[in-house]
Amino acid sequence: MISVVCVLFSRPDDDITLNYLSYFSKELVELSNSSGFKTINKESKKANKKNILSLIKNQCPNLIMFNGHGSPKIICGHKREIIVNSEENPEVLKNSITYSLSCASALVLGPKSVEKGAISFIGYESDFALGKDPESEASPRHDKIAKLFLEPSNILFSSLLNGYNVQTAVEKAKNKMKENIWYLNTTKSFPEAIYYAPFLFGNYLGLVAHGDKNASI
Amino acid sequence: MKEEKENLEEIKKEIAIERLRQAPPSIKVSFGTADGKFMNRDEMIKQIQSDTEIGKKIMKMQLEYLKAFKKEILAGD
Repeated sequence: MISVVCVLFSRPDDDITLNYLSYFSKELVELSNSSGFKTINKESKKANKKNILSLIKNQCPNLIMFNGHGSPKIICGHKREIIVNSEENPEVLKNSITYSLSCASALVLGPKSVEKGAISFIGYESDFALGKDPESEASPRHDKIAKLFLEPSNILFSSLLNGYNVQTAVEKAKNKMKENIWYLNTTKSFPEAIYYAPFLFGNYLGLVAHGDKNASI
Repeated sequence: MKEEKENLEEIKKEIAIERLRQAPPSIKVSFGTADGKFMNRDEMIKQIQSDTEIGKKIMKMQLEYLKAFKKEILAGD
């Protein structure tokens, strides 16, 4: 009997930053669906602790993507409700590959979850910075700056969905970050571009993977 | 010794602030703070001047970037 790969998305969108993350990760949900995976997408207020923990327990997802606010020990869902906490429930990530698009959660929660049985935890050891084009106010679709910050993240997760292992997915994301940093430094398209580069470089330095880097779905 | 360290921190802070001052006031960056809001140039400078946690992180990003150039990490491979 062939088991179907299960992918879980937690995509709160209750502030402008989360709204950007949610918008840009929509294509990943679509890719997961079109790849034939069992895709569970919890967005907006459905990205809450009760729903997500229940789904992890009952569906045992192979791959999880968390968008949300975070800190070294936690990942949050809708309205900053803590979903995973290194001191409370790091074991919920066991047997899964997790990608946490949130601030600093790879610093403590990442290694702790691996210690408790997670296959791999990919995330950021520092705050995830997101640049925004002031001219495309609150419109992620038209934001050429935000795209440069979130494209690498999408490359990372789409690589995992396409069967690449953790290490390759992280390398692909980092390469895209470097490419986008170069673009910000050299483009003549918009004069403010160069000033965003240090923030994207912060994401480049902060992106890490814990656990089995050869793991794939 | 302590004084030297404090002076060095002040220099680092000034470098980060001066770099930000060169940017247009309209640039906006989010660091995942509680309200999810984006900060403009002057708000970022204020965070550094006030020695807040987020200000220290912004300063660190600016300085790490300068260090990277020194080490030629970004020297196009």
